[in-house]
Amino acid sequence: MPSIDIAAEPLFSVGPLTITNSMVGAVLASVVLLVAAWVFTRRASAVPDRIQGIIELPVEWVAEMVSSAGGKRWRSYVGLVIGIFLFVLVGNWIGLLPGVGTIGIVHHTEEGTELLPFVRPASADLNFTLGLAIVSFVAFTGIGIRANGVLRYLRHLLIADPWWMSPVVTPIHLVSEFARLISLSIRLFGNVYAGEALLAIMAALVPLALPVIFLGLEMLFGFVQALVFALLTMAYVILAVAEDQQHEVAHQAPGQSTGLVGMESSA
Amino acid sequence: MPELTFIAAGLAMGLGAIGPGIGLGIAVSKAMEAIGRNPDSYGTLFVPYILGLAFTEAIGIYSLVIAFLLIGAG
Repeated sequence: MPSIDIAAEPLFSVGPLTITNSMVGAVLASVVLLVAAWVFTRRASAVPDRIQGIIELPVEWVAEMVSSAGGKRWRSYVGLVIGIFLFVLVGNWIGLLPGVGTIGIVHHTEEGTELLPFVRPASADLNFTLGLAIVSFVAFTGIGIRANGVLRYLRHLLIADPWWMSPVVTPIHLVSEFARLISLSIRLFGNVYAGEALLAIMAALVPLALPVIFLGLEMLFGFVQALVFALLTMAYVILAVAEDQQHEVAHQAPGQSTGLVGMESSA
Repeated sequence: MPELTFIAAGLAMGLGAIGPGIGLGIAVSKAMEAIGRNPDSYGTLFVPYILGLAFTEAIGIYSLVIAFLLIGAG
């Protein structure tokens, strides 16, 4: 029975820096995105041809979603959301390419042979997803502070609406603030890691035809998880920013609310 | 007792999947109902729907991680 290690396997080390196979996956995803961006900004035209249309499709799709839900400041963080979406998407799908989990160094131990793959999808490593979650955390806290000022942001975070409820509400607010980090990173890691393990086990149990179905499913899951990470970042930014818009709600036309305010307390 | 650890991991995942399963079912059924009654609501529903599913599903993922940790410890 094949097993996938929960930690990324180290390949080699440069001085104190150990290069793991999931770092190779992350660099590979970055290279794919950078090359695509470089090539398609050079030959981009106002009237897109077929390939340019395909490349622009996800960018436009996410940008449209952010612009319709993201409030007045959506232009200041739409790049972050699209970047996270594309990075996680490519990072997830790299794991489904043939040869990614199967080409590597073979170790012979007493318990049998063990394969150390060269490339592991970046999101199947908790370090990568936690790093990405920290980027998201810093971004939405920073945007919230820039929109409201340090004092107003902290006051909203630390002091409840009737002030005497603060001893009860403030700890909950703080915990839910940091639970976002954990839930963002663990969700992506758990999904992609479980997907990898599922694919490996299915390929070992029934090598013929059946893994194809699960490969298709994993493509869908990789896409949905990338979208979820990006949209959650957007939702957290909206929640951090919207605090200064709460007094303007009365002036807003009905039907323009984002529908996200109720999710403030859930992690 | 490594055998009991594996049982614990299985129980953690299995019991932990009940709640999110029910929750996801309710969320999806309500969303389908809304789209069925008003097909135009698909666009406005999509983002809050995906986010709600993500929040619900996170609980199942927590138990999955606990199960992995138990297997790793056992």
